[in-house]
Amino acid sequence: MLLAGPGIDIITPHITDAHAIDYPCLHPGFVCELPLPRWAPIHIGSFAIDMSPTKHVVWLGIAALLCVITMLMAARAHAKTTFGGQRAPSGFGNGMEAFVLFLRNEVVIPNVGPRGDKFVPFILTLFFFILFANLCGLIPYGSTATGNISVTATLALVTFVVVEIAGMREQGAGYLSTIFYWPHDVPLAVKMPMTLIMTPVEIVGKFTKPFALAIRLFANMTAGHVVLLALIGLIFTFKSYIVAPAPLAMAVAISMLELFVSLLQAFIFALLAAVFIGQIRTSSH
Amino acid sequence: MHFFLLQETIQHGAAEAPTGLLSPTGGVMVWTLVIFIVLLLILTKYAFKPITKAVEEREKALADAIAAAQRDRDESNRLLQDQREQIAVARDEAQKIIADARAAAEQVRGKMIEQAHGETGDLLDRARREIVAERDRAIADLRLEAIDLAIAGASRVIGKNMDEQSNRQLVESFLASIPNSKIAPKVTV
Repeated sequence: MLLAGPGIDIITPHITDAHAIDYPCLHPGFVCELPLPRWAPIHIGSFAIDMSPTKHVVWLGIAALLCVITMLMAARAHAKTTFGGQRAPSGFGNGMEAFVLFLRNEVVIPNVGPRGDKFVPFILTLFFFILFANLCGLIPYGSTATGNISVTATLALVTFVVVEIAGMREQGAGYLSTIFYWPHDVPLAVKMPMTLIMTPVEIVGKFTKPFALAIRLFANMTAGHVVLLALIGLIFTFKSYIVAPAPLAMAVAISMLELFVSLLQAFIFALLAAVFIGQIRTSSH
Repeated sequence: MHFFLLQETIQHGAAEAPTGLLSPTGGVMVWTLVIFIVLLLILTKYAFKPITKAVEEREKALADAIAAAQRDRDESNRLLQDQREQIAVARDEAQKIIADARAAAEQVRGKMIEQAHGETGDLLDRARREIVAERDRAIADLRLEAIDLAIAGASRVIGKNMDEQSNRQLVESFLASIPNSKIAPKVTV
């Protein structure tokens, strides 16, 4: 792939999913493809789901594994240095505690509102999972699982379910008012048409939020890689070593930006999830 | 981009249909869901709960320590206030004792001065009385002497021994007619 000749697409294979993973080797291009097993689709009713692992699934698993290793190491380091909460942690445990505490105290609890504690693990998992998946995309031979609409859509759907259940549990029957617009302070004659018009808007609004979450993460992660590869592609387009330093320098700069975007998008996803949970728990109309 | 996509199709051929960027695939979605839920469970149980618990315990320990410090400070403030009050009371007492002593000393002094004055007066009175008595005695003595001298003088002048008794009566009556002040100078003390 790195030795892309004229007319060979180096962008699309990089940002799309595949049934093979790349690994470093000494073959020309220093990249080999390891084909992943193909399983027969599972039929559920009329649906056929191909559960064969893909490149993004593998990288998602690697991200999750790194996430588990990091967080468990942090928890162990934390437990070792705090002596059961008697002392402040130091080193790695302290660094991770700073992340966890920041998200808990500045993101989840202010946005979710009272009794927001129980949403802390969910928001934290979202943040770290997305962060690690984003960062895996920046490793050579890695792949950005969060640049796959299936992945982001699933995360957004999970968030959607969590938000709606949080609304049902918090508001009880009042949850219906987040679907059917039913104002209390206007006469019936106004209320009926208002309800007819506003109810579809409310319902669309419910689905817009997770949709925006999914598209935002997917587009951000994909766009960064497209820009990077387009810049690298300039070298092959011009076929000149003299031109190479300029796109390379720009690619390095964009990589730095990508590093920041990885963190930012993970944070935004987690923050918005917390905001949506808070909104539905406190919404009164 | 169309050109690239075309090449992609040619490259991978019919073996794999080109994956649309915006079309979700069910398999990946299920995998994501499974991985996410497993991750959520593991991280919640083994990482976030212990960290949060330790942090909460530490926050509680800190809050307790702050409360204890506050309590101790209040206690020490109260003790300090007590001590201050006691010192103030002691100082007042000392002032009072000094004032009392001063007043007592003043009283004693006054009394002593008064007594001294009294004694002096007594002495003076006694001296005056003695002087007066001495004077009176001197006057009486002088009178007797004067009578003798006068009789001696007169008998010498008239050359005739007068009847002792009658002469004496004459002179005495004369001297009695002269006021005291003419004979004896006034005694002043």
